[in-house]
Amino acid sequence: MVKKLLLSVSALLMLFPAMAFAADEGPSTSMLNMGLNSLWIVVAFVLVLLMQGGFILLETGSTRMKNAGHVAGKTIFTVGLCTLIYWAFGYGIFNGGADISDGLRKFIGWGDFFFSPTNSAGEGDAFPITTFFLFQLAFATISLSIAWGGFAERAKLSVYLVFTVLFSIIIYPVIAHWIWGGGWLAQDGAQDYAGSTVVHLTGALAAMAGTILLKPRIGKFNKDGSSNEILGHNQVFSALSVLLLWVGWFGFNAGSALSVGDGFFGFVAFNTMLGAGAGTVAALLISWAVSGKADISTTLNGALAGLVAITASCAFVDPWAAVVIGLVAGVLVFFSAKLFEKLRIDDPIYALSVHGAAGVWGTLANGIFATDELATKVNVGRGGLIDTGSWHQLWVQFESVVVCGAYVLVVSFIVLGIMKVVMGLRVTEEQEIIGLDLSEHGTYGYPEQMKKAQNNIQA
Amino acid sequence: MSDPHRSQLLQSIGNAVDADALRSLRDHVNARMAAVLSELPVEQFYTELNEYYDALIRRSIALAEADLARAGMGFPPVPYAYILFGSGGRGEQTLSSDQDSGLVYDDGSSPEEAEAYRHYFAELSKQIVILLERLGFPRCEGNVLSDHPEWGMSLAQWVEQLNGWFDEPAWESVRQLLIVADGRCVYGADDLVARLRDTFNHDMLKHPVIVQRMLDNTMRHKVLIGVFGQLLKEQYGEDAGSLDMKYGAYIPMVNAIRLLAIRQDIRSTSTLKRMAELREAGILTESEAESYERAFRLFLKLRLMATEKQEMGMYANNGKLTVRKLTRDMIAELKEGLRVGQRLQRRVFKQASGRFR
Repeated sequence: MVKKLLLSVSALLMLFPAMAFAADEGPSTSMLNMGLNSLWIVVAFVLVLLMQGGFILLETGSTRMKNAGHVAGKTIFTVGLCTLIYWAFGYGIFNGGADISDGLRKFIGWGDFFFSPTNSAGEGDAFPITTFFLFQLAFATISLSIAWGGFAERAKLSVYLVFTVLFSIIIYPVIAHWIWGGGWLAQDGAQDYAGSTVVHLTGALAAMAGTILLKPRIGKFNKDGSSNEILGHNQVFSALSVLLLWVGWFGFNAGSALSVGDGFFGFVAFNTMLGAGAGTVAALLISWAVSGKADISTTLNGALAGLVAITASCAFVDPWAAVVIGLVAGVLVFFSAKLFEKLRIDDPIYALSVHGAAGVWGTLANGIFATDELATKVNVGRGGLIDTGSWHQLWVQFESVVVCGAYVLVVSFIVLGIMKVVMGLRVTEEQEIIGLDLSEHGTYGYPEQMKKAQNNIQA
Repeated sequence: MSDPHRSQLLQSIGNAVDADALRSLRDHVNARMAAVLSELPVEQFYTELNEYYDALIRRSIALAEADLARAGMGFPPVPYAYILFGSGGRGEQTLSSDQDSGLVYDDGSSPEEAEAYRHYFAELSKQIVILLERLGFPRCEGNVLSDHPEWGMSLAQWVEQLNGWFDEPAWESVRQLLIVADGRCVYGADDLVARLRDTFNHDMLKHPVIVQRMLDNTMRHKVLIGVFGQLLKEQYGEDAGSLDMKYGAYIPMVNAIRLLAIRQDIRSTSTLKRMAELREAGILTESEAESYERAFRLFLKLRLMATEKQEMGMYANNGKLTVRKLTRDMIAELKEGLRVGQRLQRRVFKQASGRFR
């Protein structure tokens, strides 16, 4: 025993001077910094990518059994397709490095198509561009998956294919460029830390164009204007999806710091958690108070709405404001869902309310709650109404919401409108009734159960 | 009975010779009552309507007896009583109530006799239920019907069953006990029902804790008014925008008053009578009783306005009231009534859980 100890100690002593010696030629502080940053960005990228799992569960859980396989499978497919399109074109539009006029650069980026990055970080880079690309790509896929909420349970598979291509080139990257890629809204100082507008509102408005052009699902609305509740087939899936998204959101928001630095990403995560908690609580309580029953779907939506809202503001506001933003989002999502139902817009998985209404609120909330100190630290825009007493930032936020919203809505309507004329958006009534699993893929996601149901109908 | 038309109609019912004649009289009753719905004070309306329905049921029973006799099964071998439960028992049937019924007969002295009686009354109750179905009274979905072995049996069996329910107050048994509490003899030997009721009250004294179980059993139906004083309407489906008058207003109040009445050994089954007796017993103050009565009358009235529909010849009703049909004043009145109902529900809840736990 003692012998062994002595032996290992002397071995360590032999090694130690060697290690001390090696440190002399070791990485510089800036290199260590770069390494840590890129490690964090890749971790964040993985977390955001994992949010797709959340969307799969959310969309399947909130829809019916007969569409489960289709809903789940198409998410994976469109993430794959979006990856290729974003690599080939989307990233270039967002952040391409070609030499174009400043006037044009205000509106789109250009160059770096079929992106071929250097394989490691250059001297003085904060992170290798590859990690940045992956992180941005993950955001594009999230925005796309949000849009699918409006298409659920009735769009043709081919629509998913074509719209993925167009969304990943002319819709998402343009908005991302405006706010994050040095475009004109970025120059105005629009604050959208992790994408309440860029990712969530963009996705939600594409969903809105989709659901309006597709028309409501069969059986959603009655002739007299009342609506029916088409319950999802698995509330546990929906709840798990929210947890998965919630976890992933720490990559989404805290990852958007793109650096480890002084640990500011911890503060961002901290605010994110507060916003989500507040949204959940507010939504449950408001549904309980207004309709007499504490609604589970609303509660889940409240968690997501809190997260969506805090996404824009997580780096710009104090913790108390994060709580207020979350609370308001939770209440807002409940009434927003009611409103869309009144307007007879079928929103199968509440994308319009969760990502749209809360996205708008979160973006505007910056104009109210942002503090000058944090705005200076992040180096985007200024403090909001409460901290500075100035309406300036609120106006900028308002402008960015309206302009981005209008662009996405108009372009989505045009694109989907053309698609509707050329190829048709919706499956036939018969296909919709038997379910997209069978009509689009030839097999059910739940073969045993659905066969049984089918036999019962025929009997 | 001053109304000549009324006594004439009752007489025709009493003289009807077959099911078809009774069915057309039932249709006549419904048409007549629907026509006077807005004119009559609500209590008078219910009294009159339930009088007609009682008469229809009595005549149906008499016809069923005669049918059995013609079929060679003879006449009732022993005295029996036909009992109405649910809204029938409370004298609160609407134009489209369903059948909730039971039957109790005297015991036989030997097993052979008992078996013969069981056979006869099983056949009789089957006939009665079928006959009433032909009159447009749908079967009770929960099978609280005299032709169900649990609800049609001899007195001794009934007593044993009641004791059993009290001894083992599982959720289902407590529900049955609450149903029994509204039982009223509509035809036959009243004293049999009175003896059932004696057993019931005797058991209540032996098992005071059951009040809590009865409360648990009924608290599920909440008064449909929200924390902001808003009506909690249906959100989805065909009835979106309507209020569930039956389960969101009427039933919670019936349940609360029944619970108070049971504890005071009040044997009336009508909710308004129970309120009056609770006031006499000093359980409710004058002003409480008055506001509860006013609210309950309103619920009785609005319940009559709930969506009616005929389904396969049955008079049916889903208890849902389209709020759009109401005037602004009526909505305000309804909200006030619901608040009163909620207050009563809370009061009963506090009393029962506080004092009797």
